[in-house]
Amino acid sequence: MARVYVSSVITAPAAKVWERVRDFNGLPRWHPRIADSQIENGEPSDKVGCIRNFRLQNGDQIREQLLALSDYDTFCTYAILESPMPIENYVATLRLTPVSDGDRCFVEWSAEFDCSPEVETDVSNGIATNVFQGGFDALKRHFGG
Amino acid sequence: MVKVLKSTILNAPIDAVWDVLRDFNGHDRWHPAVADSEIERGRASDIVGCIRKFHLQDGSLLREQLMTLSDIDAAYSYCLLDTPVPLFNYVSHVRLFPVTDGDRTFWQWEGNFSTPAGEETQLQNMVGTEIYEAGFEAIRSHMGVAA
Repeated sequence: MARVYVSSVITAPAAKVWERVRDFNGLPRWHPRIADSQIENGEPSDKVGCIRNFRLQNGDQIREQLLALSDYDTFCTYAILESPMPIENYVATLRLTPVSDGDRCFVEWSAEFDCSPEVETDVSNGIATNVFQGGFDALKRHFGG
Repeated sequence: MVKVLKSTILNAPIDAVWDVLRDFNGHDRWHPAVADSEIERGRASDIVGCIRKFHLQDGSLLREQLMTLSDIDAAYSYCLLDTPVPLFNYVSHVRLFPVTDGDRTFWQWEGNFSTPAGEETQLQNMVGTEIYEAGFEAIRSHMGVAA
């Protein structure tokens, strides 16, 4: 089982950052690598179990299912159903935690998945850098931190 | 039940911060409120169940027991056994998280307790400000890291 963990600090209250990332269909609005997204079967994007079908800027298509969404603990957990990446059993969680000292929040994005040992380092680094840190960098630019 | 939850970001790697915080008997070296501290019966400070007996600067004596110590999560929990302050059923949790972006540390310090009626707010502020937030600042100066 491979594991990827990336964390950062955003200079905005957790509630404001949550407004931006809560929408499971909202990736194209805040993540620079996502071109477009839709929820399958016209379901609402906060219905646990819904599936987002989205394309990256490079044209790759990915389907992900929402497994958990918490407005109380400000996190969401999802699984990849289909992707061009050589991975299986991919489950990821994006979580925001308030920092009481200053108007900022601690953000964590982690994933666990299976893949062959030969590609594990490349795949892990790609997810950590392009998806997770890339998303955090976009939030930092947006919120000015 | 009163809850206090304070957190901060330290500009230091998690391993360096955990090195300091992990010693359950080390708080007299960094926390300004603590005058001296010892582990009862000469036990090691990382034996879960050990009790630290310490004096505050005002001379009051407290005893706290280590209930959890986790090197994998960089976390510990403890409870207050004896205190002249009316904090009842006081349990506290300390946990560090790595901030991979910049090699920093997110530090969360939580306390749950009950108090005599009418003293909730005053004791909540005392714990949050004089213990937790003062502890954050003390670690910054102890480790020589900027805010």
